[in-house]
Amino acid sequence: MKLYISENPAAKSADISRRIAADDMILTSSLPTTAGSRMLKGYMSLFGAEVLTRLDNAGFTLAGKANVGEFAVDLLGETSYFGAVETDGKLSNAAAELLKAGEVSAVITLDVNGYPRRAAAQNGLISLKPTYGTVSRFGVIPAACSGDTVSIMANDTAAVSEIFAVIAGHDDKDGTSHPEAVCETAKTAAVPIKRIALPVNLTEGTNEDVKGKLAAFTASAEAAGIEVVKVESDIIAVSNIAWNILMSAEVCNNVSRYDGVKYGYRAENFSGIDELYTNSRTEAFGELIKSVIIFGSETLSADKYNKQYDKALRIRRLIVEAFAELFSEYDAVLLPACSALSYGEEIRADKYAVYTENRFTAPASITGLPAVVCGSVQLIGRAFSDGSLLAAAAKITESEGK
Amino acid sequence: MKYETVIGLEVHVELATDSKIFCSCSAGSYGTEPNMHVCPACCGMPGMLPVVNKRVIDFGMKAGMMLNCHINRTTTFDKKNYYYPDLPSAFQTTQWFAPIAVKGLVEIKTSTGKKGIRIKQIHMEEDAGKLVHDIREDTTHIDFNRTSVPLIEIVSEPDLSSAEEVEAYLDRLKTLLRYARVAECEMAHGTMRCDVNLSVRPEGSNVLGVRSEMKNMNSIEAIKRAIDYETFRHIDAIENGTEELVQETRRWDDIKGMSFAMRTKETAGDYRYFPDPNVMPVVIDDKWYDGIKSSLPEFPEVRFERYTTELGLSEYDARRLTESIALCECFEAACKVTGNPKDCVNWITSEVMSILGVRGITYDQLKLDGNALGELIKLVSDSKVSRVNGRKILDAMFDDGTVSPAEYAASEGLIISTDTDLIDKVVAEVVAADPKSVADYKGGKEKALMALFGKCMRQLKGNCDPQVLRKALIAKINE
Amino acid sequence: MTLGYLISLEQINQLSLTDRQREEIIAFFAARDAELERLYRFDTADTERMVHVMPIMTVVREDKAVQLFTREALQAAAPETDEGYWCVPRVLE
Repeated sequence: MKLYISENPAAKSADISRRIAADDMILTSSLPTTAGSRMLKGYMSLFGAEVLTRLDNAGFTLAGKANVGEFAVDLLGETSYFGAVETDGKLSNAAAELLKAGEVSAVITLDVNGYPRRAAAQNGLISLKPTYGTVSRFGVIPAACSGDTVSIMANDTAAVSEIFAVIAGHDDKDGTSHPEAVCETAKTAAVPIKRIALPVNLTEGTNEDVKGKLAAFTASAEAAGIEVVKVESDIIAVSNIAWNILMSAEVCNNVSRYDGVKYGYRAENFSGIDELYTNSRTEAFGELIKSVIIFGSETLSADKYNKQYDKALRIRRLIVEAFAELFSEYDAVLLPACSALSYGEEIRADKYAVYTENRFTAPASITGLPAVVCGSVQLIGRAFSDGSLLAAAAKITESEGK
Repeated sequence: MKYETVIGLEVHVELATDSKIFCSCSAGSYGTEPNMHVCPACCGMPGMLPVVNKRVIDFGMKAGMMLNCHINRTTTFDKKNYYYPDLPSAFQTTQWFAPIAVKGLVEIKTSTGKKGIRIKQIHMEEDAGKLVHDIREDTTHIDFNRTSVPLIEIVSEPDLSSAEEVEAYLDRLKTLLRYARVAECEMAHGTMRCDVNLSVRPEGSNVLGVRSEMKNMNSIEAIKRAIDYETFRHIDAIENGTEELVQETRRWDDIKGMSFAMRTKETAGDYRYFPDPNVMPVVIDDKWYDGIKSSLPEFPEVRFERYTTELGLSEYDARRLTESIALCECFEAACKVTGNPKDCVNWITSEVMSILGVRGITYDQLKLDGNALGELIKLVSDSKVSRVNGRKILDAMFDDGTVSPAEYAASEGLIISTDTDLIDKVVAEVVAADPKSVADYKGGKEKALMALFGKCMRQLKGNCDPQVLRKALIAKINE
Repeated sequence: MTLGYLISLEQINQLSLTDRQREEIIAFFAARDAELERLYRFDTADTERMVHVMPIMTVVREDKAVQLFTREALQAAAPETDEGYWCVPRVLE
């Protein structure tokens, strides 16, 4: 079981509160970055991610690069070329295991298709997927750029807040980065969360464990004086169908650069340029990524573009508007993060399960809204309400027993 | 039956920016060692994000305005996907949905008169790298220096109908873009390239014929030959059934003087364009738009008119100056200082052009400060510096752009002396040392005076008003 | 989704799938096409597409050339180089 793909031995002496890991989608110039793919095995970037530079400057030490599913599009990391992470025969996740083992105080992850939120929910950890554009994506392996968000996983909200305060901020090297003042507002808990909407139609298909967590969270919220109101939303419920179109097209485009020419895996046997490309890519990519590529390129083809890709971009606006309408009455939206607290044989046997399991994470991915996983459930807030969400999460899930 | 040729052009022009369109690598790729102007972004490595070079937008706007286009005040970038070794990320960032400029018009002049050519659109995009096939037989070598160098693609409507019109159109584009200082437009350097779309139809018909496209033409002469050949091939096919015309991409072989169909894959041509999530729409506000608008140069023919009527230059001189905006701007700045256009045009067409020729600098590359040139011309016309020394100072100004003519003349001792004591002293010495010449002159030999004059001038290092010296010399001899 | 169309998608993406994965993907596409119907129920005729989720002003860069890395560093992990070039098997013109 490989939790780290590469490790920094010097970090052992660092204080645990200052020791962090990054998943292997985050580029480092001191350690290889693989994206969990055979394609990038041993790949040394010439530069590191802006987030890691900021953390380094703030005195944090990088302990290693956490194992990750190939280009971070899978459920929990099971498609990693370096092997799936399992505990007690059950599928788990490297970042979550590192935190539970007390190896590090936080893990920087790339939330492409929801894996960090699923991993946090299944392991009772905290994950913040910040508002899109508040954390620089400079030095991150690009996957689905319109939704990719550098996110933070930790054992408690305080650790997440501390890291978020360091990494959020404007970066000239990222053209989708918000101005500094806007990023600063995301760090404050300016608007307290008093009313939460729970779209019940989005909880369909979750098992009893997840329903139990939703009920427990609701009870704690109400005990803390926060109202939870059941609502319905048809449009938010199709988020993942639209997101699968956008995500796969963008991932397809972004992984086209890996072709065995400039760096990375090159097939041993080929004759001519087309075979060089095809053999290298066929040998180095795993099956899920290949399906994403096929799906994504189909959706962008001239005869499908309007029907699928353009449609998904318009649906995205409808989803953003549906959230805005909810936020006119409520301060946050409560959703499950996954259908089960551990994945059974059935879901593991389905290679393409993530395309439906991501229905819980896609609403925040497609809108760029901030999401906090806590108490094994997910709270989505208004843009730049990251700090408020973390404060509410702390109030609701961490007040007991303190 | 009589036929007419219908031609539309897609012209790629490399913009003359310092850095590339989305990364900070140098955009000056012509003639450098391979892969020296490359970074992780433009060799396809993951993790760097595109940040738009502002000057590319400036230049795109300028080009659009010069070609009378409507400028899209919100312009966006899109990704075009295909695999080829010169495209390191396997996508090209271009403009598909909202290009910078649309619906323009360019007027050309040919032997048959004036004609308007409609511009469909101008879009901004990144160039691809270069492939080299002649280093090793079995290998293609890849150079990414040119990758991501900014280009504009100017797409015309199919309004052109002959090789002559195409040449006039390309010349006109070149002149206008050079005037706006957005591009070099040198086909031999690859900074201007051209795709020719051509079809043939019976004269008077308004239905377009089957179109062929010839890609990447890079010399005007080859383009003209290719148009003549393709026109003949199409008519021959229609009249004599020599072949069935199909819409296709063809390659022009200038050595064989023939075009050949290019091998294409079934799936090629679907570039799967989609909006680039990493580049925000570029919104051009009024301030930005007006700033660019007000920086546009006067068109060459307007300048020509003004030079010949208001400034009284000859048509010959006006034509020489308006060949390049750099010459025009230098001239106009110099005129402001001297108030004497004829003097200024003389200096530019003689001394300045001669130095440019010697140094191998093109007119467009002229960096001479027109104000400084004006000062220099004034020093000479005010008899403070001799013409010969003026040329020396001009050379020094070309060596070092910060040279001030007056300061340089003073520090190098090139100021004409008005010190009559000094002049009288030199004259006295020269006359005393050469009694023979004095006697010859007195005996009626005018040439002897010139010899004495030359000796005096040499001793004075040329810094003397010739009239003053001549008077002093004659006076001394006649004493 | 037909086998022929799938193979053309593989070609355009420089991939070659196994027969087993082809079968799986064709089955997956059938299920997905049914799902897409759920999107088509929403009328988007008057809805503008949304590429960027946040209203961020364009960030532009001044036109200044900087060389960040040497050619040697950029080519350190290259599978094949020669005389400063990246290399591939000869591409026929």
